[in-house]
Amino acid sequence: MRRWHAIARATAFEMISEPLSLLLLISALSLAVLAPAFHYHQFGEATRMARDSGLSALFTGGLAFAVFVTIKSFRREFESGTAAMALAHSLSRGAFFTAKVAGALAAYAVYAATVAATTLVMVRGAEIGGAVAARTGDIARVWGPSFAIGVCAVVVPPIAAAALNRFARFRFVSTSFLLALLLSVGGAAYSFRASLASSLAPVMVLAAAVAPAFLCAAAAFSARFRANASAAATGLVFAAFLPCVGAYYMSDALSRGGFLPWSYVGVAAFALVPAEAAFILLGVHFLDRLDLQ
Amino acid sequence: MNETDDVVALDGVRKVFRDFWLRPTVAAVDGLSLRVRRGEVFGLLGPNGSGKSTTIKMILGLLDPSGGDVRLFGLPPRSVKARARLGYLPELSYLHPFLTARETLRYYAGLCSLPRGEAIERTRQLLDMIGLSSVADRAVGGFSKGMARRVALASALIGRPELLVLDEPTSGLDPVSTREVKTLVKALSAGGMTILMTSHLLADAEDVCDRVMIVNHGKSVAEGRIGELGASLEDFFLAKVGEGDDFVLADFLS
Repeated sequence: MRRWHAIARATAFEMISEPLSLLLLISALSLAVLAPAFHYHQFGEATRMARDSGLSALFTGGLAFAVFVTIKSFRREFESGTAAMALAHSLSRGAFFTAKVAGALAAYAVYAATVAATTLVMVRGAEIGGAVAARTGDIARVWGPSFAIGVCAVVVPPIAAAALNRFARFRFVSTSFLLALLLSVGGAAYSFRASLASSLAPVMVLAAAVAPAFLCAAAAFSARFRANASAAATGLVFAAFLPCVGAYYMSDALSRGGFLPWSYVGVAAFALVPAEAAFILLGVHFLDRLDLQ
Repeated sequence: MNETDDVVALDGVRKVFRDFWLRPTVAAVDGLSLRVRRGEVFGLLGPNGSGKSTTIKMILGLLDPSGGDVRLFGLPPRSVKARARLGYLPELSYLHPFLTARETLRYYAGLCSLPRGEAIERTRQLLDMIGLSSVADRAVGGFSKGMARRVALASALIGRPELLVLDEPTSGLDPVSTREVKTLVKALSAGGMTILMTSHLLADAEDVCDRVMIVNHGKSVAEGRIGELGASLEDFFLAKVGEGDDFVLADFLS
């Protein structure tokens, strides 16, 4: 298990050290934080706007993160020779592949948790701000303290990481990533110290649960094809599953006071497990036949 | 586990590379047979493109042979048990650029399943040995070729292997570092380690190898102990592989 952990840990660390990861995270956080601000003038819909923007960032940004960063990590490992170095040790190819997938999933979990927590902050801010604005009639009051925390989640991590890099030689990208996670989760915990948005949490889990299936697909294709071909093959899988993916958008139901039961989330997420397992088996099969240069 | 005096055994091994459509592109190794015995330093010599690295990668289980039989410690090279006993230094220093030298060695200690305490101690010893303790916390992506080479060599040694496979070990090293590597190889050999190395630098082989095989176009053209191949290994080598060379620099210059 030590060997498996070493590969998984290195992969997770590599993925959150990748500049593309930080770019995708900052883009998703910006969408979650800034997009609602442009819609707040639609009085009374601030909460829905915050929720829609956050879920969109979680879903689309998550897919991009899961697919592109995974392909980049896997292909670099095969093409640079580090996979050959690792597989010259007492490690089977199946263990190597599953460890790398586990590391990629861990990195994706950091991404998803950060975006989800920031969305919760924005939703809470919109709820409080909207209530204050409705009571006072001052529409500018929609901009509450939660919005400030949300903006901080975008701006503060890179600035703090740059300072830590300058004065203490911390790595810029991975430090930015982890600071964004800490700040957003801290902000969400502060915003919801009294109550958690119970109707939103299951939808977030459902939206975040889709990307791992495509992450496994991207990893499998990376063990057989070059980067562009792997992305194209994953895109074809996505196109095939697109009609099913539409069912994951639950925001409209939520905005009408609906509630998504956890049992449904569990069943839907579990339905993805066979697809993930199939892609992992395919990846192991491809890697088993790969000539490592 | 099968114990045998032949740490590595190749019998009539062939490797034909194929393209995406499975059409053969090049026969890199063609019917190669060799034995590496326990405790010896064996040199696989040949010009660039002669099939040395391909042979090494088949021994390591990274490439599947198209034909013939490869045995590592008497087991198939894909066997996890067999590979637990070897260390590998590739021709180019393949390292994760985002890891520091210390993290790189800890990573390979993890791949060798060393317990945490032993991994820390072994990492410290090897960093001292390769003279990089002062830059141990810098990312290896910023290292010079020679420094990266030393880290890769330490990575190969971290699990205290029984067989050390060195693919062009002095590639990219300055003369001082080259001499240090040769001294290290001699010391490891004196300690009982079996070493298989490839090189196209004959002086390297002459200094450290007990036995050598010269390969050209994927085939063995000569094999024997250093002293048995003639007074000058270079003359012998050129006589064996020089004819039919396609490298016509003189013609080009004229």
